[in-house]
Amino acid sequence: MRILVVEDERKVARALQEGLEGEGYAVAVAADGEEGFRLARREAVDLVLLDLALPKRDGIDLLAALRRQDKLLPVLILTARDAVEDRVLGLDSGADDYLVKPFTFPELLARIRALLRRGHPDPVLELKHEDLHLDLATRKVARGDHSMELTGKEFEILECLLRHRGRTVSRDMLASHVWHVTARATPLDNVIDVTMVRLRRKIDDPFEKKLLHTVRGLGFVLGERRP
Amino acid sequence: MRRPRLSVRARLALWHAGVLILIVCLFSAGIFVFVRGSLFAGVDRQLARALETVDWVYHHEPEDIQNLPTESGIRLFRVVADGKLFHQTESWERAGLAQGLPGSAAPESWKSPDGRWYRVQVVTTPAYAIAAAVEEGARRDALWTLIEILAAGVPLAAVLAIAGGYFLAGRALAPVGAMADKAREITADRLGERLPVANPQDEFGRLATVFNDTLSRLCDSFERLRRFTADASHELRTPLTAICSVGEVALQRELDAGAYREVIGSMLEEVRRLTHVVDSLLVLTRADSGAARAEREVVELSSFAGSVADNLRVLAEEKRQTLEVEPGARVEAACDPAILRLGLMNLLDNAIKFTPPGGAILVRARANGSGESHIEVQDTGPGIAPAHRERVFERFYRGDAGCNGNSPGAGLGLAIARWAVAANGGRIELESEESRGSLFRIVLPAR
Repeated sequence: MRILVVEDERKVARALQEGLEGEGYAVAVAADGEEGFRLARREAVDLVLLDLALPKRDGIDLLAALRRQDKLLPVLILTARDAVEDRVLGLDSGADDYLVKPFTFPELLARIRALLRRGHPDPVLELKHEDLHLDLATRKVARGDHSMELTGKEFEILECLLRHRGRTVSRDMLASHVWHVTARATPLDNVIDVTMVRLRRKIDDPFEKKLLHTVRGLGFVLGERRP
Repeated sequence: MRRPRLSVRARLALWHAGVLILIVCLFSAGIFVFVRGSLFAGVDRQLARALETVDWVYHHEPEDIQNLPTESGIRLFRVVADGKLFHQTESWERAGLAQGLPGSAAPESWKSPDGRWYRVQVVTTPAYAIAAAVEEGARRDALWTLIEILAAGVPLAAVLAIAGGYFLAGRALAPVGAMADKAREITADRLGERLPVANPQDEFGRLATVFNDTLSRLCDSFERLRRFTADASHELRTPLTAICSVGEVALQRELDAGAYREVIGSMLEEVRRLTHVVDSLLVLTRADSGAARAEREVVELSSFAGSVADNLRVLAEEKRQTLEVEPGARVEAACDPAILRLGLMNLLDNAIKFTPPGGAILVRARANGSGESHIEVQDTGPGIAPAHRERVFERFYRGDAGCNGNSPGAGLGLAIARWAVAANGGRIELESEESRGSLFRIVLPAR
């Protein structure tokens, strides 16, 4: 999978490149809009990460040009502009997703995976990891033979963690996936931490092997972290 | 293009003079018309009497007619009977009235060849004609004198009016000059100074008072801005300092991978804190600039409050607090649910934060019957002293909690809550009793 990063901030571009290469993606970096457009046309690219404020050619402009060439190429906008109008403009111009800076890397990875997976939905009814089972139809959760009662939010958190098992899930991801809140000036971080403590009490505390881990500064991970 | 405007003082003086000159002119014209009228009326009465007398004498004592000038002082007349001159006085002949006499039956002014003015009237019957005249010279001279006096008086009045008006306008406007001088001295660093108010009841006093009120408000907002900047930089600097020192200390010695992981994690935690402050500030800045628009729809407040409370319930449970939503009838309000959610979340979070463990928080929605809907959040916290009640909604203000430094958060929650409610056309009311708890009431328009 080849990802084109169009980002003029050198430090951010390099961090993105290293992070994505670490995840096994091939990465091309363009420092301005013109170069971005050239690379997108010349190389076979599976996904574009696009900054909006770019030298030479504005991101929205580039996006429109890309859309005229290839209707299906997934484009994820990364920008510091987070007013609702900006989001609407970005998505109206043909972007598939929108992530506001500063974002956490795990969330970016999750969105990239979701965009690359698009068109191949997985009809999963049951999620499991080691002895932990989660039945999406009956909403039953069990570890081995011990079934447990989870609240709605706890269940959804666990589902989110299981879907991304082995990968870090950030608090921002949980806020938008579980609480459906994208506004950031909310006291939701504390709620997430407390809910996580309770979830851990139920699925980890009574057992020898711990499944849920906190990744300091990033979020949470279920199972062993993939290198 | 407009002419450069004159000063207010000069304009006032000119207006004043203009009006005064107009009045003097009208007054002079009035006097002239009146005096002239009454002078001529006197002449005409005299003329009528003369004609009557001559007529009477001609009919009853025609032989006495040549004595009339000496006996009754009627010196200018002529009687023509049957087309022949019956009698004419000496003065009549001398004055040259014989030639070119006007034939009118009404009194008329006539100028003789030697330049004298006479008032002449002729009574004509088929049998005879009597003409009489009265000299007008003295009256005309008097009228001319009057015209000269008036003509000299108007320019004099104009000069006096301009000078007086300029002087008076200068005196009246002197306080404005004084105010301008004072106002010039008041700069951003000296906003504490005020304009002098001599008499708060008069126009300039009111102007100065209004100006002083504006200065007070300006002073307040400067003060708030200053405090805000200081607070904001403090809130931003604290996590920045933490990031710096954690990173620097870590670089001072060799650590193993796990320790580095810890250090980076700790730095990222601070970044998250920083992000939260910046995001909150951004929400408020956008609110200030009016860029955030509320998309209003009808929201049922009971279930809305219930869902927000459910989101935060775990926080209350962690502190063994009861968080109850009082079931009630349907209460509707027109508001933007996303913005209102932000506001109510911050209010509830605030209540949970400041209510001691084991306390109770009660949320209820109700309509007040006069077109407004309420969401009330009541807690059993320490309450808010009257001195802090207005200020708790200010940015970064943390009241007593801020002083002892153990309160979580940056102190922006209530500011955001107040904005979120105001953006929906509502307001937040606060009732509080110290050591009993507080009640925050969101008041929204029902429609």
